[in-house]
Amino acid sequence: MTTDPTSGTAPARPSGATGPAGASAPEPDDTVLDPAAGAALIRDQRARVVAATSMDGRVLFGAWGVAWLVGYVTMWAAWPEDPRIELSYGAATGVFVGLLLAAGTVTAIHVARRSAGVRGTSAAQGAMYGWAWFLTFAGVAALGGWLGGREVPSDVMAVTMTVVSTLVVGALYMAGGAMLNEPSQFVLGAWICVANVAGLLAGAPALLLVMGVAGGGGMLLAALVEHVRRHRGAA
Amino acid sequence: MTTTPELDPVIHSQARLRVMATLTALPDGDRLTFPRLQQLLGMTAGNLSTHLTRLEEAGYVEVVKGHQGRVPSTEVGVTRAGRRAFEDYSAALQALLNPTVVKETS
Repeated sequence: MTTDPTSGTAPARPSGATGPAGASAPEPDDTVLDPAAGAALIRDQRARVVAATSMDGRVLFGAWGVAWLVGYVTMWAAWPEDPRIELSYGAATGVFVGLLLAAGTVTAIHVARRSAGVRGTSAAQGAMYGWAWFLTFAGVAALGGWLGGREVPSDVMAVTMTVVSTLVVGALYMAGGAMLNEPSQFVLGAWICVANVAGLLAGAPALLLVMGVAGGGGMLLAALVEHVRRHRGAA
Repeated sequence: MTTTPELDPVIHSQARLRVMATLTALPDGDRLTFPRLQQLLGMTAGNLSTHLTRLEEAGYVEVVKGHQGRVPSTEVGVTRAGRRAFEDYSAALQALLNPTVVKETS
């Protein structure tokens, strides 16, 4: 282009002022708006973009909250020394693992859909944060495998795996809250860490109940808080 | 003062206003691939290209052509000047809607 590059910022010159030579036929969609319609259009389009590209905490916290609440409480209820339901402890562990895999699948699909076609800073942030989750949980799984190959009492096994995995979740939620400037996510992470210490003091099977009710319940509460916040924002 | 705020003619069209509203809704430093931008706008590829060219010529958007693996990809993001122009445009709209609010102009 041979036009002066600074002319683009000069609003005083209407595009048709130089005569028909420079003005092509009006393009479709090229209608000029009145101010009220323009303001409404900006508002609607921005709401559409945010809804389509931002992560929905109700889906993510909801999926993990259900997995923790049902999974941990099932394991607590099937505790071998004090069973409350007719389910072997191994089967209860299987239920929990299945719920965690389901929540992981929901998360992966949701994140892939919302972040599709988004590149740049937040994509790089999201990728690094995703790797942080993946690598720490690969480490937790490796620890579980190592302990599983030894003659470890079941209460030591349950306490170790629960404390390590929930501390990792609490720490990553706090870091995520710091990264995205979302205090509610930070508070959830801090709450999980506190509940963890309280559950540890309570001992072996009780820890599972505490993490299910306080941890899983805390996540479901976070999902509810997000739901209320979205409805207030829309009103 | 009875001066009417000027509305930037580059942005003052339904299609380009929607493009700018979309790109500025993203966090700073984010871009959208051409197909995703097209999907969020519901515009045809040819129509979107035309408006992007106009915005690019004004220095408001940046069109980056690259590759995702072997597949060529086009990414579109708003520039600093574009973000500022959009903010000015939004402020001018608000001034037109609420003429009682006197805005200091530099």
